Amino acid sequence: MSALEVWLTIGLMTLATLITRTSLFLLGGAVRLPPRVQHALRYAPAAALAAIVVPDLVLTGGALDVSLANPKLLAGIGAAVFFLATKRLLSTIVLGMALFTALRVML
Amino acid sequence: MSSADSMTDSAAGSSRPGISERHAFREGMKIAAPTLPGIFAWGMVTGMAMVKSGLTIWQALGMTFIVFAGSAQLASLPLIAADASIWVVFLTALVVNLRFVIFAAAIGPHFAHLPWYKRLWYGYFNADITIGLFPRRFPAETLDKPEGKVGFFTGIGYPNWCAWQGGSVAGILLASQIPQSWGIGYAGTLALLCITIPLVINKAALAGVVVASAVAVAAAGLPYRLGLLLAVIVGMAAAMAVDMIIDRTGRESA
Repeated sequence: MSALEVWLTIGLMTLATLITRTSLFLLGGAVRLPPRVQHALRYAPAAALAAIVVPDLVLTGGALDVSLANPKLLAGIGAAVFFLATKRLLSTIVLGMALFTALRVML
Repeated sequence: MSSADSMTDSAAGSSRPGISERHAFREGMKIAAPTLPGIFAWGMVTGMAMVKSGLTIWQALGMTFIVFAGSAQLASLPLIAADASIWVVFLTALVVNLRFVIFAAAIGPHFAHLPWYKRLWYGYFNADITIGLFPRRFPAETLDKPEGKVGFFTGIGYPNWCAWQGGSVAGILLASQIPQSWGIGYAGTLALLCITIPLVINKAALAGVVVASAVAVAAAGLPYRLGLLLAVIVGMAAAMAVDMIIDRTGRESA
């Protein structure tokens, strides 16, 4: 992307922030989303985030790599287990990075 | 103890609104405080990831101060680096931010009595920890009692913003001290992973996550990361389908 396009992107992302964060504040109690829409939207963030995270863990240079030689995948599984047990975001990132680094150096 | 204090203050709030809001602000701040180191760390990781992905320091600072949406920022970085269309980045940011629409649907009506510019301002601070903490103190039944709400909400929202921006700036400035080979961007993936896990609230959400992940991997070769949008849509449909199946079997067995 050119520098101009990056700034345009930042502008559009700001718009995305304002639309999603504030539109229902602006509407106040005037408009309620239909229950079906609210229901479906509830699952959108989890689906979107998983669709970003998982390819990052299992794809190496565009090819599927589900093996014990993939440090991102192994460290990701370790971090997920640790987070499920402790619910501590900061410690999980530190541990995950340590695992990733150790595996990257060893494998 | 402190909630009893604030109730007395709320009762007196109509004659002394300033004191009541200030008290509620302090109450909100006290409740939000334990989350701030985590918010700072996540801001830091996001700040580093922005610089590491190739944004200049000014672009990274611009993005953090005006976009103020961590998961959308992290999601946008690989897209920007891969030269995706700016509209794909926009749509991705909208999709990743969709949870804020739900948060606003729950919290926004509490501020319906305020003028529009104040609602716009407070809406900007609508975030993960405000939805986590605000409804517990002010459930839907308190809709017609505005006392203390602005104070409590901003007592969470303002420190949250400051911790996030402080962390981001630290990350942006530190990023150049950290070698590329350390793969620090992986910390961003880990942070997103930690945010995804609590969103898996039931079987339907789990199905949505599994299906969206599979589709995203299978469709990773599509241009402009369109596979991501496809994954979200199919994942949402899968979650809805599971909910409907559970609903039906529940009714049959009952």
